[in-house]
Amino acid sequence: MSVKVRFFARFRELLGTDIMTEPGAGTTLTALVSGIAQKNREGYDAIFDEHGSFREFVILMRNGKRVETTEAGKTAVADGDEIAVFPPVAGG
Amino acid sequence: MVIRIQTEDVDIGALITGAKKHGTGAVVVFDGIVRDDDITEMELEAYEDVAVAEMEKIAAEATRLHNLLHVDIIHRIGRLSVSENILIIVVSAGHRPEAYAGSRYIIEEIKKSVPIWKKELTKEGGRWVPGEHGHGAGKPRT
Repeated sequence: MSVKVRFFARFRELLGTDIMTEPGAGTTLTALVSGIAQKNREGYDAIFDEHGSFREFVILMRNGKRVETTEAGKTAVADGDEIAVFPPVAGG
Repeated sequence: MVIRIQTEDVDIGALITGAKKHGTGAVVVFDGIVRDDDITEMELEAYEDVAVAEMEKIAAEATRLHNLLHVDIIHRIGRLSVSENILIIVVSAGHRPEAYAGSRYIIEEIKKSVPIWKKELTKEGGRWVPGEHGHGAGKPRT
């Protein structure tokens, strides 16, 4: 299956964006994002804590809808998903 | 109603004219601009599809809560210089209390939930503006 991962703001600077992945069946949101983030230590540390959990301020979206980071380890991605990962918003 | 994210500047006068619907007694314009905080420029980025959808929801809720007659929200992205417009909100209502309250509601909700980020560019480099509201499982760390 094919899943797109988009990082924004500081996370984008560290990890890039619009990353096309082909995860296996049952891959969770946490595993998918963690696998990509590990390509850059600073990027990984910006998003995950020392236990491999999402830092508490990180925002996750799946197809434009919020997913609580505490649920991401139990949420499997599906073919065609767009996953977004970003820090707290600062518009206006 | 115009709800948009764009790089171009905004003709505020035209928006005010368009906001004067039948029954309008007050138009309130909020114009957020790039402040001179010892920066050279500001760079803005958005998760555009989600940001526009979120601003549409905010506009609809503001209209319902404050009896607005018209709402425009235009947020600029890209690289902006000091004193340039960032965000224009134009609302109209029958009376000033509704117009002021509706405008205030919209800007505060945008700051809470619309996925847009700002980076202040300085002679030394750049710094991301921290969000005022944490939206993950907890509050942002400082």
